[in-house]
Amino acid sequence: MELQLGLALPTNPTSEAFDLNYYGFEANNKEVDRVIGPCYTSSYEGDIDDIINIDNNKRSFGQAFENSSRDRVVPRTLPLLLWNNNNHPSEEDDPKDLENHHSLFAANKNVGDGDGDGVVGWPPIKSWRKRLCHENQVVRAWNNQMVENGYVWGGRRASNSNYVKVKMEGVVIARKVDLSQHHSFETLTDTLMDMFRKWSEACEKNSNNYKLIYQDREGDWLFAQDVPWRTFIRSVQRLKLLKSSG
Amino acid sequence: MKMMMGSSFPEEVLEHVFSFIERDKDRNAISTVCQSWYEIERWSRRRVFVGNCYAVSPLILIKRFPDVRCLELKGKPHFADFNLVPEGWGAYVSPWIAAASTAYPWLEEIRLKRMVISDDSLELISKSFKNFKVLVLSSCEGFSTEGLAAIAANCRNLRELDLRESEVEDLNQSSGHWLSHFPDNYTSLVSLNIACLNSEVSFTALERLVGRCPNLRTLRLNRAVPLDRLAILLRRAPQLVELGTGEASDLRPDVFSNLSGAFSGCKELKSLSGFWDVAPGYLPVVYPICPRLTSLNLSYAATIQSSDLIKLVSQCHNLQKLWVLDYIEDLGLEALAASCKDLRELRVFPSEPFGAEPNVLLTEQGLVSVSEGCPKLHSVLYFCRQMSNDALRTIARNRPNMTRFRLCIIEPRTPDYLNHQSLDVGFGAIVEHCKDLRRLSLSGLLTDRVFEYIGTYGKKLEMLSVAFAGDSDLGLHHVLSGCENLRKLEIRDCPFGDKALLANAAKLETMRSLWMSSCSVSFGACKLLGQKMPRLNVEVIDERGPPGSRPESCPVEKLYIYRTISGQRFDMPGFVWTKDENSALGLS
Repeated sequence: MELQLGLALPTNPTSEAFDLNYYGFEANNKEVDRVIGPCYTSSYEGDIDDIINIDNNKRSFGQAFENSSRDRVVPRTLPLLLWNNNNHPSEEDDPKDLENHHSLFAANKNVGDGDGDGVVGWPPIKSWRKRLCHENQVVRAWNNQMVENGYVWGGRRASNSNYVKVKMEGVVIARKVDLSQHHSFETLTDTLMDMFRKWSEACEKNSNNYKLIYQDREGDWLFAQDVPWRTFIRSVQRLKLLKSSG
Repeated sequence: MKMMMGSSFPEEVLEHVFSFIERDKDRNAISTVCQSWYEIERWSRRRVFVGNCYAVSPLILIKRFPDVRCLELKGKPHFADFNLVPEGWGAYVSPWIAAASTAYPWLEEIRLKRMVISDDSLELISKSFKNFKVLVLSSCEGFSTEGLAAIAANCRNLRELDLRESEVEDLNQSSGHWLSHFPDNYTSLVSLNIACLNSEVSFTALERLVGRCPNLRTLRLNRAVPLDRLAILLRRAPQLVELGTGEASDLRPDVFSNLSGAFSGCKELKSLSGFWDVAPGYLPVVYPICPRLTSLNLSYAATIQSSDLIKLVSQCHNLQKLWVLDYIEDLGLEALAASCKDLRELRVFPSEPFGAEPNVLLTEQGLVSVSEGCPKLHSVLYFCRQMSNDALRTIARNRPNMTRFRLCIIEPRTPDYLNHQSLDVGFGAIVEHCKDLRRLSLSGLLTDRVFEYIGTYGKKLEMLSVAFAGDSDLGLHHVLSGCENLRKLEIRDCPFGDKALLANAAKLETMRSLWMSSCSVSFGACKLLGQKMPRLNVEVIDERGPPGSRPESCPVEKLYIYRTISGQRFDMPGFVWTKDENSALGLS
C-alpha cells in the first residue's frame, strides 16, 4: 500500500481530456489514429484550453488538482516542437538515424551481461541463479572430462556424480543419467526405461524391447551387456537405446 | 457544529481508535476526513511503505510522519534483477538513514529492496536506533561483512537479520568473523538468513549464537556450512520452524544417521530450503518431516532429479509453497497435483536456461496438471519451452482464483506449438477468467490483440511485464487506457512508440512507474513528457552518450518514468537524462 501523495482527491485525472498528441503529432498509422484519437497538425493555432475542455465540462487535468495553477501544468502557449519534423521512418531519414533506430530492435547482444549468451537479461533469471546454472554445467562437463581421463571424480563439489547423455531411438529429447548411482546393468536399464516410459508406452514397457548400446572413449559403439560393468563404467561416454527387432 | 464535534471526541480517544487501523489504505483514508483527523493520524502512524524511494524525499516523509517505527523502501525497478539497469543508476539509501538517524530515534525496523546500502549506513543504523529490531535487505548491494559486524556488535535488541539474495562483499577478517561480533549476552535472535553469503562463517560463533538464542525460529544457512555441522545446529535449536541447509554433497553413512537423529528432534519444522549440491542419498533424512512441511524451496538443488523429487513431494501433503527446478518434469508435477492439495504457490525454474534444446521433459502439461489438481493454486511462475492456447485456456478455466501468473517461454516469440498461432487467445482467457489477477507476465508470440484482451478484462491488474510482444502503439494504448488499477508496467523489446505514451500521459501519474527498454520511444517525446508533466520524473537512460547529439526522433535505449512529489533527484549518473538537462539538448 502506497504512501498517499499529499491530500489529493482520490479521483483519477480523466485521461481522455489530456492528450499530448494534440501538440502536433502527425499520423502515420490510420488504425492507431482511429483508436487513440485524431491528431492536430503542427499548424494548429487554437487555444490550449479549447483542446483540453473538449469534453463538455469535464475538469481538465489542471483543474482536477487544486492548488495547481493551470499555468504550471499546461503552458498557455503552444510549445516549440522540433521533433515533429523527423519522426517518420518513411521520410528521408539520415542513414545514421535509421541505424540508431533499427539497432534498438535487434536483440541487445551481450552488453555487459557477462554470461556470453544471446539477449541481455533474457530469460529473466536473477544473476545468482544464472551463476548456479553455469556452475552446474561446468561441473557436469568437468565430470564427463574426468571420466574420459579415467578418473572417478571424488571432489567436494561434484561428489561422485557422473552424468552421461542417453538417447532413445525415435524420441526427440535426450536425457541424462547419473551412472554413479548404479552398479549393475539391471538397475541402469530399469532407470532408463522409467525415464523414457512416456515414449515407450506405445510399445511395451519391457526392457527386452530395447537394446542398450554405448559409445566408448575411442568413439566406437558397443553393446553394453557384452562387457563387464567395470569395463563399461570406465569407458562410457554416452548411451543409446535401440529398438530390438526380435 | 464543528465545535461540538471537537469537544465530544478528545484526541486520545481518536488516537486509541486509530491504533487498531493498520492498513496504509485505511490510514490514508482516515487522514482525508478532516484536518484534526489528519493531524492525529500522522502523529500516530508507525509503519510507512515507500514503493519508490524517489517518489518522495526523506524530508517530506519526516515532516508528515514524525514518529515512524517501521520503514520499508524500494529502490531500483524490477528489471534491475535482470541486469537491465546499468550500475550506478541510483537507489542509495544513505540520505534516508542519515535523516532517520536524527528524526526517528525509536526506529525499530528497516526493510529495503533493490537498494544500495553502504557499510557506513549499516554502522549508522547500529548506533542510532537503540531499539532496533529488524533488518531485511532484499536484493541489496554495496555493503560488506564489516557492516554486518557493526550490526551484530551494536544492536542489542536485534531480532531479525535477513540478507535475502543480497550481494555482500566478504572482507576476509583473520579471526573474529562478523558473526562473532554478537556479544555473549546477546540472546534475542529470532530470524537469521545468510543464505546469500559466499564465504564461510565462523562455525563456532554460529553454533554458540544458535545455542544461546532460545527464540530462534528461522535459520537459513549459506552453502559453506557442511552437513555434519548442520546436525549440531539442529540439536541446539530443535525449536526451528524454518531451515535452510548448507551443502550436502558427500554421502557418508555416519553423517546420514547423525542428521536423521537431529531432524527427528525438530518437531516444529515447516519450511525447508537450501539443498545445494545435495547427494540424493541424503533425502530420506527429511522424509519424516515432509508431512508437516508447508514450504519447500528446492530451486538450488541441481543434483536432485525427477524420481527423487517425486518421492519427496509425494509425502508433503500439507505443502503450500513449492519452488523447484524443471528437473521435476511433467511427471513430477503430476505427482505434485495428486499429493499436495493445499498447494498455493508454484515456481518452476529452468535448469539450463541457455541451452538451445530442452534438457528435461517439462512442458505445458505439467502446469495444466497442477492447475487441475490443486484448487488453491493462485500464484505461478513457470519457465518452459512450449505452450499452447489450449493449455492456457484450460489453466484459466481450472483456476479462476489465480492472482499471480508469470509465464516465461524461454525462446522469445515462440508461437503455439500445436497450431503455430500467437498466444493472444490463451492469455486472453487467463485475464478473462481470472478476475482477481493482480500480476501478469507475458511471453511467446503475441500481437496487439493480447493487449486488447488485457485492457478489456484486466481490471484488477496491478503489475504487467511484457517482452518481445505487440505490433504497434495500439498495444500499449490498450493497456494504459484499460487497466484501471495498473501500478507497475515494465516493457522490453516491443515496438511501442510515442503515440500511446503521449495520449495516456495523465495515466502515468496514477501509476508507480513505467519502464520501457529497447522500444521506439523517441527522445523528443520524452522531452515533451518531462516538460508537460511536472509530477513525473522522466529518466532517459542511454549509455550511448547525450541524447541531444542524436536527432530527436531517435529512440532512446531505456526509459523510466515515475511519479514523484520530490522533484528531480540529485544523484543521477552521467548516463541518465531528464528534462532539466538543458543546453546541448536544445530545450531552453
